[in-house]
Amino acid sequence: MIEPVALKDFFITFFSAALIIMAGGSYALLFAWSKVNANFRIKIAAYVAYAVLLVAVILLTRAAQFQGYWLIISAAMVIGYFFAPIGIWHLCVKTHTDPHYPITHKEHQE
Amino acid sequence: MNTSGLNGVMQNATALGEKSRACLNTFKAWVQLDSSNLSPGQQLSVKYFIVAVILFFAQILFGMLAATQFIFPGFLYEILDFSVNRMIHINAMIVWMLYGFIGCVYWFLEDESGTDIVGLKLGNLAFWVLTGAVTVVVLVYLLVQIGPGKDSSLWLINEGREYIEAPRWADIGIVVVMLIFFYNVVATFSKGKWSGIAGVLTLDLVALAGLYVAGMFYMTNITHEQYWWWWVIHLWVEATWEVLVGVIMAWSLMKLLGVRRKIIQTWLYIEVALMFGSGILGLGHHYFWIGTPEYWLTIGGFFSALEPIPLVAMVVHAVYDSGAHAFKNGNHPALAWIIAQAFGNFFGAGVWGFMHTLPQINMFTHGTQWSASHGHLAFFGAYATINIAFFYLAIQHWRGDVWMGGNSQNAWRWKWALGLLNGGVVGMTIALLIAGYEQSFIERAVEGSTWGGYFAAQNHPSFQSAMNWRWFFGLITFAGLILLIWDLLTIGKGETRKAPIIPVEE
Amino acid sequence: MNETPLPLWASESFWKKTAIWVTAGSFLILVVLTFDSLSQTSAGGKRVPAYSVINKKIDYQYKEELHKFMPVIGETELLFGKEYTEEEARQLVDLGKKTTQAKNCMNCHTLLGNGAYYAPDLTKAWLDKGWISKDVREDMMVKFLMDPEKNARTFGSNRKMPNLKITEQEAKGVVAFLKWMSSIDTNGFPYNFKTINAEE
Ligand code: HEM
Ligand code: HEM
Ligand SMILES: [Fe+2]
Repeated sequence: MIEPVALKDFFITFFSAALIIMAGGSYALLFAWSKVNANFRIKIAAYVAYAVLLVAVILLTRAAQFQGYWLIISAAMVIGYFFAPIGIWHLCVKTHTDPHYPITHKEHQE
Repeated sequence: MNTSGLNGVMQNATALGEKSRACLNTFKAWVQLDSSNLSPGQQLSVKYFIVAVILFFAQILFGMLAATQFIFPGFLYEILDFSVNRMIHINAMIVWMLYGFIGCVYWFLEDESGTDIVGLKLGNLAFWVLTGAVTVVVLVYLLVQIGPGKDSSLWLINEGREYIEAPRWADIGIVVVMLIFFYNVVATFSKGKWSGIAGVLTLDLVALAGLYVAGMFYMTNITHEQYWWWWVIHLWVEATWEVLVGVIMAWSLMKLLGVRRKIIQTWLYIEVALMFGSGILGLGHHYFWIGTPEYWLTIGGFFSALEPIPLVAMVVHAVYDSGAHAFKNGNHPALAWIIAQAFGNFFGAGVWGFMHTLPQINMFTHGTQWSASHGHLAFFGAYATINIAFFYLAIQHWRGDVWMGGNSQNAWRWKWALGLLNGGVVGMTIALLIAGYEQSFIERAVEGSTWGGYFAAQNHPSFQSAMNWRWFFGLITFAGLILLIWDLLTIGKGETRKAPIIPVEE
Repeated sequence: MNETPLPLWASESFWKKTAIWVTAGSFLILVVLTFDSLSQTSAGGKRVPAYSVINKKIDYQYKEELHKFMPVIGETELLFGKEYTEEEARQLVDLGKKTTQAKNCMNCHTLLGNGAYYAPDLTKAWLDKGWISKDVREDMMVKFLMDPEKNARTFGSNRKMPNLKITEQEAKGVVAFLKWMSSIDTNGFPYNFKTINAEE
C-alpha cells in the first residue's frame, strides 16, 4: 500500500530523488578518482558526497512516506550506493589484470 | 485529357527526372566523398545513416510544428493537427534511431566476423523496401491522416498507438526486413567467426524484434493493450536498446582506444546483467495505473530504483579507463558525442527517470509534461548522441581516415552544433520540467485531474511561458541540427593529415 | 599466452553465465507475472469489469478502508436508453475503441494517463463535471464528438478538438468505451477526482 506524497512535499520529493542519483554518481566518480589519484582531499570529497546521499535518502523516505517493506528501498539505496562503486572498482582492477598491461599508446601517436 | 496533354506531362516528368539527376550529380561533386574508402558492408551502412539523418530532420521539423500549436492552437488547425505532427515527430524518432542502429551493425559486421556479408544484395534490397515503406507510411500519415473506426483503418492508415503507430501492413513489412537483417547478421557470423560481442548482439536482436511483434495486435480491452504496448516501448528503451548501444560502444571502444577484447566482453556481460536485471522488471513502473494489480507498485518502484545502477557503474569504469588508457584519438567530434552520451544517459534516464518513478509521486506526474521532460532528455541523451557519434566515425572513414580534431579547419561547426543541440535539448527539458511540475501540482493534486483542472493548469502563466521557452529552445536545437548536417557533409574535406591508427590488442 | 589466473568473479565466463541467468530469471518472473496480470485484468473480472457495465451507474469514490479512490458500480443506468447484452456491449465498446485508434486520439489525449499532453486525460472522462449534468451528458458527448468545432468547450484555452469525421454510431461507441474505461480499477489514479455525481 502506498501513501501518496503530500502537496507540500512535492518539491522535496523531486529534489531529494534527483539528489540521490547525483550524489550517488558523484560519490562513485570521486571514489574512483581517489583510487587513480591518491589525494586524501578527493577521498574526503567522496565521503561528503556519500553523506549528502544519506541525507537525501532520509528526506525522500519521509517525503514519500515510506513504511513497512517500502523501507527496503531506502535501505537498498543506502547500502547499494556505498558498496557498488567499491565492487565495481575492484572489478575494473581485476578484469584488467594482465601481464601485458598497462600498455602505453606513446608509439601510436602521429 | 488529350494525348498532347499527356505528352506534356511525360515530358515534364522526364525533365524533372533529369533535373534532379543533375542536382544529385552537382551535390556529389560538392561533397567529394570517395566511396572506395568503404567496404561493401559500410556502403550499405552509410545508406542507413543518410536516411537516419533525413528522418532526424523530419523529427525536429514536426516537433517544431507541434510546439507551435501549444502556443497558437489555430496554427495549421484541421490541416496538420497536433496529433499528426506529434505522431510524425515521435515516429520519425523511433525509425531514425533504428536506422542508425542497423547502420552501425552493418558498419562493423565484416570487421567483427572477419568475412564478407553473406546476403549483401538482399540487405540492399531490404534497405530500399524499408525506405519505400517508410515513405508511403509518412505520406499516408500526412495526406490521409485518419480513417473510420474499422479494422481496415488499422491495417492501412495508422494503428493510433503512440510510438508504434505504423499501420499493420507496415508492421509486417518491418518484421520481414528485420528478419533479413537478422539473417545477415547470423549468417555472416556463422560463416566467419563468432565472438562475445556477436553473441550478445544476436540475442539482443532476437529480443528487439520479438518485442515488436508483441505490440502488433488489436485488443478491445485497453488494459491488456497497454500492457503489451509497454512491453515494446519500455523493454526497447530500457533494456534491448541500451544493450544494443552497449554492443556498439564495445566495438567502438575496442577500435578507438585499443582496449583488449577480453576486457570489453567481460564488461559487456556485466552491463547486460545489470541492465536486464533492473530493466526487465523495471517495466513495473508503467503498470501502476492502467488497471493492473497492486503488486506492480512495489515491483515497479523497487526495480526502477535499481535502474540507475548500471549508469553509475559506467561512471566508475569511465574514470578507470581514462586513467589506464591514454585518450589519444583522431576523431574529436565522435569522442565529444560519446561523452555527451554518458552524461545524457546518466541525467536523462538516471536522474530524470528516478525523480518521477516512485508510485507515491508518479500518481501526480503520470501523464503530464513531466514525462515529456524525461522523454526528451533520455531519448536524446541516450540514443541520439550515440548515433551522432557514429555518424562522425563513419564520415571520417568515408573521407579516408583523415584527422578530425578540435584544431581542424572549420572545427567551430562541430563544436557549435554540439553546443546548440545539447543546449537546446537541455533548455527544452528544463522548460518542460517547470510545466510538468506546475501541471502535477495544479491539475493532478489540487484539481483532481478533471478537464477543468487540466485547462486551469494549461492556462496558468508559468505553463504558458514554459511553452514559449520550449519553443525557443526547440529553435536552438533545430539550428544545431542544421549545423550538424552541414558539418557532417563538409568535415574533413580538404584535410590531408591522417588520423593516427590505434591497433587493437587481441 | 601466459594469463595470470583471474579470480572467478572477475572472469569473462563468470559474467557471461551471470548475464544469462539474470536475464533468464528476470524474464521468467515477468512471464509468470504477465499470466497473472492478464488473467486478473480480463474483462469481467474484479479490476476490469465486463463490457455490460455500460448498463450500470458508475462512480469514483475515496474508500477509507482501502486507502484509495475506487470505481463504484451502482444500480442500472442505461446508456442511450437501451439495455445491452454482454455481446452487444462488447461490440459497441469495440467500435469505440477501434475508433479512438483510427482517429489517433492518443496523440492529443492521454488514456489511462498514457499518450499525449495536448488535451485532457480520458480515463475518467465519462465522470467529468464538464458534462454539466447526467441528463444531458450522453447527448452532449455524442454531439461534441461528431462536431467538436461547433460544440467546442475550450475552457478559455482556445484549443479546439478538430473535426475527425466521427459518425453517430462511432460516437456512441466511443461514449460506451469511455463509460466502460471509467469503471476500471486504476489503483487510485487519478487522485482526488470529483465526479459529476458529487454534487447531487
Ligand atoms: C534511455 C533510457 C530511457 C528512455 C529513452 C526513456 C524514455 C521515456 C519516455 C519517452 C517516456 C514517456 C512515455 C510516454 O509517452 O508515455 C518514459 C516514461 C517513463 N520513464 Fe523513462 N526512459 C528511459 C529510462 C528510464 C529510467 C532509467 C527510469 C527510472 C529510473 C524511467 C522512468 C520512467 C517512468 C516512471 C515513466 C512513466 C511516466 C509517466 O507515468 O507518465 N525511464 N520514459
Ligand atoms: C526542436 C526540437 C523539438 C521540439 C520543438 C519538440 C516538441 C515536442 C512536442 C510538442 C511533443 C508533444 C508533447 C505533448 O504531447 O505534449 C514532443 C514529444 C516528444 N518528443 Fe520532442 N521535440 C523536439 C525534439 C525532440 C528530440 C531531439 C527528441 C529525442 C531525441 C524528442 C523526443 C520526443 C519524445 C520521446 C516525445 C514523447 C514524449 C512523451 O510522450 O512523454 N523530441 N516533442
Ligand atoms: Fe520505463
